[in-house]
Parts: sequence; structure tokens; C-alpha cells
Amino acid sequence: MSSQKGARIKDELAQAWTVAVKDVRVYYLRPGMIMFGFLMPFFMFFSFSVRRELGAAEGLARLLALTVFFTAGAAGPFIIPTERRIGTYDRLLAAPMSLLTLLLGKTAVGAFFAVAVSGVALLAGLAFFGTGIAQPWLLAAGIFLGAFSFSTLGLAFGSIPTTNPGDVQMPSTLLRWGLLFISGVFIPLSQMAPAAQAVAYLSPLTYAQDLMNHAVLGSGQIQPWLDLAVLLLSGLLFLWPSLRLHRRARVLGR
Amino acid sequence: MTHAIEVENLTKIYGQPNSGVLAVDHVTFEVHQGEIFGFLGPNGAGKTTTQRMLTTLLEPSEGRILIDGHDLAHDAYPAKRRIGLVPEESNVYTELTAWDNLMFTASLYRVPRADRAGRARELLETFGLWEKRDVRTENFSKGMRRRLSIAMAIIHRPSLLFLDEPTPGLDAQSARAIQGLIRQLNAEGTTVFLTTHRIEEANQLCDRVAIINHGRIATIDTPERLKRTFQRVQSVEVALEPNGQTHGKALGGLAGVTTTVKMGDKWRLYTEDPPALLPVVIDYAAAHGLRVVSLNTLAPSLEDAYLEITGGQIGTVMHETQEDRPRRRGMGGRG
Repeated sequence: MSSQKGARIKDELAQAWTVAVKDVRVYYLRPGMIMFGFLMPFFMFFSFSVRRELGAAEGLARLLALTVFFTAGAAGPFIIPTERRIGTYDRLLAAPMSLLTLLLGKTAVGAFFAVAVSGVALLAGLAFFGTGIAQPWLLAAGIFLGAFSFSTLGLAFGSIPTTNPGDVQMPSTLLRWGLLFISGVFIPLSQMAPAAQAVAYLSPLTYAQDLMNHAVLGSGQIQPWLDLAVLLLSGLLFLWPSLRLHRRARVLGR
Repeated sequence: MTHAIEVENLTKIYGQPNSGVLAVDHVTFEVHQGEIFGFLGPNGAGKTTTQRMLTTLLEPSEGRILIDGHDLAHDAYPAKRRIGLVPEESNVYTELTAWDNLMFTASLYRVPRADRAGRARELLETFGLWEKRDVRTENFSKGMRRRLSIAMAIIHRPSLLFLDEPTPGLDAQSARAIQGLIRQLNAEGTTVFLTTHRIEEANQLCDRVAIINHGRIATIDTPERLKRTFQRVQSVEVALEPNGQTHGKALGGLAGVTTTVKMGDKWRLYTEDPPALLPVVIDYAAAHGLRVVSLNTLAPSLEDAYLEITGGQIGTVMHETQEDRPRRRGMGGRG
């Protein structure tokens, strides 16, 4: 019985991987992904950082947080409604795998894009600005956990039962912009008023930015273990609305 | 032996139980192992809604579904492993090649790694797509995508295949090729659940058909028995020259004719007694100096039976095009 269970888990993991690899191959060059996933973080970075007194290391930490945040969260709201529209999502929903497996596969897609784009940002930072990395392992953990958390956040929007990506891309972008301005990305936590700080602590992006500060600059405002724990827990938490919304879609028939 | 499908009191209400749209209304039926079972009905009758519930894509409001004895509400995983699904729209990944589409599906259905390439090749050859295996499917014709879609649905050798409107929009050659493939799959032991509004397709392919109307099963029987039930829709078909088309009204007034329908250059005269009508038609032609080009008696067709059951009027049946039908996801427009 347990060997059957083990085989099933192995199958489900392989299926999640299959879904992720397929999505990466199919969607990496789609305009929606390029615009909202790949270019947006760089636009945001240059919009708010150019001509401001910002050191190379601070700039790199900010850019990494932005790329992980925007890129990971862009995949879900684009891919799932698109697949619902063209009918390919039914193929996945009818396949012999659990809903959680499918969602993990979809999460992995956003996370993969985020890791890849932030890798490019990191290489650019290292090559052009000669920036050092204070804690490489913390950086790696931060990028992976941030990518997971923000990808599941995007997935929650993508799970809204609609066939039009625009229906969910707009609200998800609005939320992400809102989080961006309360999360200590452009104004460091230490310079925020207590009330603003209290709000900032509600946003997972705050912890991602703080982790990047620890990793690149060597210092942050929050304990790194707490940053990592919040990113992990928020990622798991964001899966819950996705599961609920998918079950709702199955009832509604969308 | 368990049935391939057992459905008991299956019901679907879109929206609130009291005020929503009742799409499927306490439907009960079984599909036997190894048969081709046709699911016929007009638009909005509940065909696609039923099929989506049977394939786990839609949650029933009420009722029970067993696939090979597995209750979908409690044990969907083994049922899903046995099912292949070809939806109405060919949902292939247009950014991928035919080969990659098949390999993706094989991996998704956990076809053993060693068998995947061989199985993909076998299917591509069977479906006439081997030469195009490395072409991205965005460059495929509708018929090629349809064939690939079927190949993807059977790569894991399902024992039960669901086909939703497999041939509309295809040219006659592609449609015939797909019907041949369905027969071949069935001959190899696959049970086929065919949702269609093409009556002649159901007539040619199905061992039994269910006719669903307004969310309820109106009848389930073999095509031949259904036709025999409707003896009163027998007919005589006659082609007259010259100007045979202008004699419709007069032919409709002949003794025993209940309805007259123009069929191209012919007239179909519905009657309860075709042998008695034949000499009347011949006499009419002689009296008007017309030559009888052809004269045939016709047993009731499945289309006649279908129209009788669904309340359609003989002579007004329209063969829909893809564009005529409501969009797949439209509320209340499901088949």
C-alpha cells in the first residue's frame, strides 16, 4: 500500500514537472509574459531609481526583489486564463493528477521565470557595477522562496474563473503595484513611520526585499530566518485561494 | 461485468438550486463495455454538460457517476487513468510540434518512458501525421489538428474515449477518416462515448444512441429500433422532369401525403403507407406529362426519429455549421 502511495507521489511530482516544462516552452515568448513578466521589473526599477542617489549594491538588491516579485507573479494571471480560453486547460484538469499537483506545476513555471530573470539581473549587477554578494546562500534561498511565494500569489489571481487574461492581469498588477509602494522597496523600512512599517510587515515583498538586503548588503531590518519563513508560509497560504477558486470553477463550469 | 459508465440521477443546475438554469435533469443511463454510445440532442439539450461531468471537468449538482465501477465523487484518480478526452475544440498546443504534443501527453499520463517514442510514432503513422511530426501545429489544418487531438487522447490506451463533436467543420474526407479511426479504436476494444448533433454520424457509428432533450433522456435504443418506432415517418422520394420543382404543392395534396419536403431536385413525400402512394405518384406524373427520373420508398431515418423525439418539425431540420452553434462556454448554450 505504501509503495503504491510512493509511486503515486512520484507520478504526481513528475506530472507537475511535465506541466511546468511545457508551460516554459509554450509561454516564454508570449507578449503577455514579456511585458508583464520580463520588462515590467526593469521599467519599475529604472523609473524609481535613475537619477536618485542609490549605491550599486542597494540598486542590485532592489532590482533582484523587483524581478522576483514581478516576474513570478506574472505567469499565473496570464497562462491559466489563456489556457482556459483555448481549451488546453481542460486537458490538464482531466489528466490523472490532483489539483494540487497541477497548481504546483503552474507555480513552478512562474518561479522558473523569476529565477531566470533575476539571474540575468544578478549577472548584470555583478558584471557592470562590480557589486559583491555578502551572503550567496541567503541570496539563493531568497530568490527561490520569493519566486515560490509570488508565483502562488499570481496563481491565486489566475485561478479566478475567467477565460480572459485581461480580467485578472489588471487587478493582479494593481495589487502588486500597491504592495510595491508599501513594502520598503523604494523607501527603506528603517526610514518609514511606525504606522507605515506596520503596514509593510503585512506584505511578503517586505521580507523578500529585506532578504535581498541581507544577501547583497550584508544587513537588513528583520531576522533572515523570519524573512525566509514568511516567504515560505505566504507561498503555502496563497495556494489555498487557488484551490478554492478552482473548485468553484468546477461547480460553475468555467 | 461492470459497465463502462453508469450514471444515476445526474443533475446539473447552473447557479442557485432554486433559481438557476437546470441543464441536466436527473439523467440515468449505462454505457456497456466495448460499445460506441451516441449522445444526441439539439443545442442546449445538456450534451456537453453531461459529458463534462462524466470527465470530471464539471461538478454535478446531484447524482452519481461510476466509470468502470469507480465513483467519480470519491475515487476519480483510477477513473481518470482510464479516460481519454477529445473535446469539441482541438486543444493542441500550437507552439509545439506534433511530436512534442504527443510526448507531453504521454508524460502527463505517465506512459512508461521506454514506450513513449514507439507509441507516438505508431499513432502519428496511423493518423497520417508522421511526415509532419516536426511541424509546429499552428501550421496544421483543422483536420490535422483534430487527428492529433485524438492521438493525444489515446496515447495512454484508454479503455473509455469521450469524443465531443469530432467531425463538424471538417471536409468530407477528413470526417470520413476520423469516423474510420473511431471504428478502428472501437474494434480494438475501446468504449466510445460520442457526443454529436450529427444524426447520420451517430447512425453510422453507434451501437446505441441516447437522445437528450431539455436536459432529460428522451430515449435510449439502437438506431435501427429507434427508426422502426417511427413508422409513420416513412416517405416516398420522387424526382420529376421537366420542372419537377414546381409541383410541390400539388404533390402535397395527393392522397396519403402528410408532409412534403423539397430535397434538392427531389420531393420527399411523408406518408404512413408508401406502397399505396407509389401508384398515385406515377398517375400524377402521367397526367401532367412528367417523366419520373427516380422514385424510392424510404424507411424512417434516425433524423426523422430524432426530430419526432425532440419536437422538431420534419422538413425544417437544418444541418448546422460550426458558426451556428453557441460558443462552448456560454451559459445556457451548452449542448
